[in-house]
Amino acid sequence: MKILLIEPDRALAKTYMESLQQVGHHVQVAATAQGAIQAADAQTPDVVILELQLVGHSGVEFLYEFRSYTDWQHIPVIVQSGIPATEFTSQWQLLQQSLGVSTYLYKPYTSLRQLQAQLNELVLT
Amino acid sequence: MSAREDQGGAPLLSQRLLLSVAEELKLPLLQIARQAEQGLLSGTPDLQSIQATADTALHLLDNYALAVHLALEADHLQNEAVSVSSVLYDAGHQLDALAKAYDVELQLNISGRFGPVMAHRQGLQAALVSLGAALIEALPAHGQPEQLRLQLAAHRSRYGIVAGVYADTKQLSQLAIQRGRALQASRQPFMNLSHTTGAGVFVADAILQAMHLNLTASRHHRLYGLGAVLQSNHQLQLV
Repeated sequence: MKILLIEPDRALAKTYMESLQQVGHHVQVAATAQGAIQAADAQTPDVVILELQLVGHSGVEFLYEFRSYTDWQHIPVIVQSGIPATEFTSQWQLLQQSLGVSTYLYKPYTSLRQLQAQLNELVLT
Repeated sequence: MSAREDQGGAPLLSQRLLLSVAEELKLPLLQIARQAEQGLLSGTPDLQSIQATADTALHLLDNYALAVHLALEADHLQNEAVSVSSVLYDAGHQLDALAKAYDVELQLNISGRFGPVMAHRQGLQAALVSLGAALIEALPAHGQPEQLRLQLAAHRSRYGIVAGVYADTKQLSQLAIQRGRALQASRQPFMNLSHTTGAGVFVADAILQAMHLNLTASRHHRLYGLGAVLQSNHQLQLV
């Protein structure tokens, strides 16, 4: 599976990339919203894993732009962020209903195995 | 007395600083958890990265504790004659492993001749390490493809000797600091600078304030950065 991982923290990005590559995924990494659009343009991903807290344009702003392109409207997006679900209620509705986000993972308690399981579920659906 | 600053319920500055540090500490702990898990899955744990990450978290905690201690003892600080160059050198040494983990090239520019300054050495070094760590983590998040560099340097300005950390990013501006300070209670106060809470900048700010020094945005050659303004001591220079 071709995965676009949008992760601003380089150390974390390295770890996620290594883990996903190890199970056979092809991973592109972008640190910013702009970089992510360029990466998707270069190679359309099968799935996007997105951190909301980016430098400059936020993850939500990225999603608005990403979904504005017809080709990318149906690509599944997993939001994985350090913002606790309790602080997230209003934003989650927007992401789910308007921006087509299927899954939200609270980063601190989501293991690499859980992330991989979530990706496997997407492949099956 | 209420733990709140005013009736509007705004948290005290100290509470905001603590909140910022607590939020910031999630990042190294998360990195350690995932690096350890990946090590178990692959059978080849990257122990060097795990150690560097743990050290970063410990430095942040130590520097936060020092900021609190210095604030409590602000009237009785044990200042000493300090060589700015040697403080920058030691700060650079402390930041080395973190810079490697983030693929940031750390440069030391201590070529200028600066006389000694009267300062709390440990505090000054801790402030520079806090600033440096915050910027090392922030720089790759800008997504610049070219080699990332952070320079520890000092120069003379009309306000005094400025010792600080500098990078090739215009986001390190006075406006960014002002906005960040104003938004300290938010989850990502330096929105144009960092994906984290930027706790290192706030800790450095608190340490410098306790030492009656200012954190300032400044330029060094063609780089932008944050630093401490120090006054050179003419009597010590004569000695």
